[in-house]
Amino acid sequence: MSRAGHRICALLILFAGSLMAGASSAAEQIDPPADKATIERGAYLAIAADCAACHTAPGGKPFAGGLPIGTPLGTIYSTNITPSAEFGIGRYTADEFARALRRGIRRDGAQLYPAMPYTSYAKFTDDDARALYAYFTKGVQPVDVRAPVTALPFPMNIRLSMMVWNFLFLDSNVYAPDPRQSAEWNRGAYLAQGAAHCGTCHTPRGFLMQEEASRALSGAQVGPWYAPNITSDPATGIGSWTREELAAFLRTGRLPGKAQAAGSMGEAVEHSFQHLSAADLDAVATYVKSVPPVQDAASGSRFSAGRMFSELSVLRGRNPISSNNDANPTGAQLFQGNCASCHSAEGQGSKDGYYPSLFHNSATGEKNPANLIAAILYGVDRTVSGRQAFMPGFGGHPTDSNQLSNRDIAMLGTYVLTHYGAGDTTITEQQVSEARHGGPSSPLLPLARGGLAAGAVVLVLGVAFLIFRRRKAVVQKA
Amino acid sequence: MASTDSADVVVVGTGVVGCLIAEQALDAGLSVLMLEAGPRVDRWRIVENYRNLPPSMRLFHWDAPYPPKPWAPHLETRTPKEAEQYLQLEGPNARAYLQGYVRYAGGATWHWAGICWRLTPEDMRLKSLYGVGRDWPFAHDIIEPYYARAEYALGVCGPTDPAMQWPPNVKRSRPYPMGPTPFGPGEHRLTEVAASMGLMNIPAPQARNSGVAYNGRPACCGNNNCFPVCPIAAKYDAATALPKIEAKGGRILANAVVYRIETGDKKAVEAVHYFDPDKGTHRITAKVFVIACNGIETPKLLLFSKDDRNPNGVANSSDQVGRNMMDQPKLIADLELAEPLWTGVGPVQSSSIMNTTQGEFRSSHAGALLRMENFARSPLGAAAALKKGLVGKALDTEIRRLSACTARLTVEHEPLPWPDNRLTLSDKKDWLGINKPNIYYDVSDYVRRSAKDYTVPLLQKLADGLGATSFKLSPEFLNSDHIMGGCIMGADPTTSVVDADCRAHDHHNLFLPGGGAMPSGTASNSTLTMAALALKAADAIVDQLRHG
Repeated sequence: MSRAGHRICALLILFAGSLMAGASSAAEQIDPPADKATIERGAYLAIAADCAACHTAPGGKPFAGGLPIGTPLGTIYSTNITPSAEFGIGRYTADEFARALRRGIRRDGAQLYPAMPYTSYAKFTDDDARALYAYFTKGVQPVDVRAPVTALPFPMNIRLSMMVWNFLFLDSNVYAPDPRQSAEWNRGAYLAQGAAHCGTCHTPRGFLMQEEASRALSGAQVGPWYAPNITSDPATGIGSWTREELAAFLRTGRLPGKAQAAGSMGEAVEHSFQHLSAADLDAVATYVKSVPPVQDAASGSRFSAGRMFSELSVLRGRNPISSNNDANPTGAQLFQGNCASCHSAEGQGSKDGYYPSLFHNSATGEKNPANLIAAILYGVDRTVSGRQAFMPGFGGHPTDSNQLSNRDIAMLGTYVLTHYGAGDTTITEQQVSEARHGGPSSPLLPLARGGLAAGAVVLVLGVAFLIFRRRKAVVQKA
Repeated sequence: MASTDSADVVVVGTGVVGCLIAEQALDAGLSVLMLEAGPRVDRWRIVENYRNLPPSMRLFHWDAPYPPKPWAPHLETRTPKEAEQYLQLEGPNARAYLQGYVRYAGGATWHWAGICWRLTPEDMRLKSLYGVGRDWPFAHDIIEPYYARAEYALGVCGPTDPAMQWPPNVKRSRPYPMGPTPFGPGEHRLTEVAASMGLMNIPAPQARNSGVAYNGRPACCGNNNCFPVCPIAAKYDAATALPKIEAKGGRILANAVVYRIETGDKKAVEAVHYFDPDKGTHRITAKVFVIACNGIETPKLLLFSKDDRNPNGVANSSDQVGRNMMDQPKLIADLELAEPLWTGVGPVQSSSIMNTTQGEFRSSHAGALLRMENFARSPLGAAAALKKGLVGKALDTEIRRLSACTARLTVEHEPLPWPDNRLTLSDKKDWLGINKPNIYYDVSDYVRRSAKDYTVPLLQKLADGLGATSFKLSPEFLNSDHIMGGCIMGADPTTSVVDADCRAHDHHNLFLPGGGAMPSGTASNSTLTMAALALKAADAIVDQLRHG
């Protein structure tokens, strides 16, 4: 769904996977019907799965691929999934398409990198996989252009290595409805776990970068952004939201006085959720509201922190008019000069809510300051129902009109947290620097860079031991 | 102390003209070094400077948030005495050349209104059609594509309805990149009144984001703060281009005051020399030199660069450098009204009456643009109400009344290029020992006739239509901050300074683009034409470096 989310897990999963080898599961037979209604359903599912987020490059032709997904280990390019016979999926049979979609296996048998969220798409029913096939073969214009070829360095170029990881962590079962739940709940679970792949970003990951099912949707870092806890915990999740509020958030990308979507979630709302039917959004909300609560270590709601505040009375009249940039501006100065024109001098935003209040806002109320840092660096750009919500970045892009240093963003962010948000959190220059470079790096990365060989040995031994134990358990049962 | 440096293209000045050329050259794969006399200051620092000003300085002292460095002085207006420090003005209309520009990285667009009128085809043929002024060396259809490019480079919002576009009945090659900003209540009213007089008040195209982000900059949210600084960069200013230039590999050197253009024996420019803030000197070489310092600093530098090879100054074999200085002589009328008008919703300027700029009458008197200022009246209202000694509820009521029921009408007259309106080097010197600019300015009978017989009666009629109870006309002509003419363009090297690409007739690798090159001033704001000329010059520079 989100580029950043995919980028991070792609990077980590492929690294973990590259150190192993194993076997894959078989594909199944699917017949491709292609009536108009099926194509339309496929088109809708493609939106729900936000295929365009990665497979349509900005300014490029729909689904022609070529979006560079940068990782510190190399660039992955999204592929051409138009029905071009030579450069796209024109030669794929329905079976082959379903196998790529749900198992991450290319037509030629090679493993896809998990930038493609096939662990979630595995939930797609046979019918829906067929509808997607119908859409991508009959409803999309072929584009006869080769997307750039992904060429990662060794050992990440060994696509076979993904097999072991798949063997361990890919649940290859399609979605099985829970008969104890309503049809609406099941529809929501199907979409949330499958097409919308909420867990890709919101579920924390384990040692080998697998989603930790026991802590599903309890919050995880996604590049420089943080996909927060969206379990039903009333304090640290979104248990305090009504189902209607959650559906409205998904449709509009904002919930005044609580939260707004930025980063990957902004993209998800813009490209996917706002286009889904009201019934489907209600269903997703119904399901997400039922996800078991997971309480974070932090206490207190991220939606109710902070209050109106201004230091203008002590700021004005004391500061000279200067032709020099201040070497060490205070948080209050930075806030008034950079933020107050839109968010107002007291932080309450604009009356119409276009500029959100900085207090009672998940971006400032969350203990983890990642989203505040990322919003200052990269801004917000989300268009919903033809209306754009836009905040400029302050230096995350080299072309930003206003460039704030790591030091200034740390000062400014800490000031905002102190007076409008979570309170006792301090942002360090190091945190800002990390976010500027794409987010905190993974513990697996040093392995790749420094001790690749040693790490590989340890991991292979560990995985071999795991496999041995599983087999042993099977043998003992038998 | 001395150091040397070089680039394919050296651009002196980091305003809109210099920045557009720098970006074009970088896009063409050329190396670019920009030299800026003044400091490079963060937007938020300037915004805070503005807010830290005493209230009496926040309106009409647009220079006040930009305190100059000693090595890069510009006009300051906090006191009448201060206003005489830098620009040395003389002549019957000296007050009408009190030009406010800032020598900061980003240049004068820091505090422009963002208004982006195109010239009409007639504006470029004054001599042929009306027997006055000069013709341009090329026709309107040559500049039209450059206008379109400039509108996209700056991000200009403008009307989608062709009937509302200017110039009328001239085909545009591309639509405006954004739709117009909506009128505030005051402008709606003025539009009605103008229509009843047979005049058309149309939306001003402006380099301001209307409802959408553009080029990484946010939409205008009506801070009504375009002068002296847009706090959120919703209005284009060249300071927003600086990071983009650096991202493309361009280098920007602030606090580098170019004081000499050095030519070689084959008339090519070989180097520019600059002072650093410690008065150390440096020499920079390049293949092409662009002097983009606006219409006062560019001719000043050319004249100051005189040496044995160039006894009249660089690029001045025609003796036209510094002559033909133009700006629209402006008159303002302050009104009190019976009914609330409520200007101040939206940008500080957003519409103008333009059909008064054109007509056969231009053979005898100047055309003129009429508009209503749209800045919020509350600071003026508050000051006036306090002066009356009111307190409590009475004070509150009077502030509201004066904020709502006052207005300012403005008329800007078309200047003609007169050789006697001339910039020379003053005997007075600045901190670095560089002569200050001296300018003689006479608006001429061409403008005086227009004011007497044409524009002041129109202003009065508009005021009556708005229900004015008082009408106070400025006692003399004022400046419009549109500096033009000092490096005038023409086909004949004996009567003009630059050719149709803003290349100096005398030096094939020296470009002097911007307002100084404009052969006709016209009644409309000059920046978009300057930007179009910059892009035209950039094409010529790239072509020249590719093909010799």
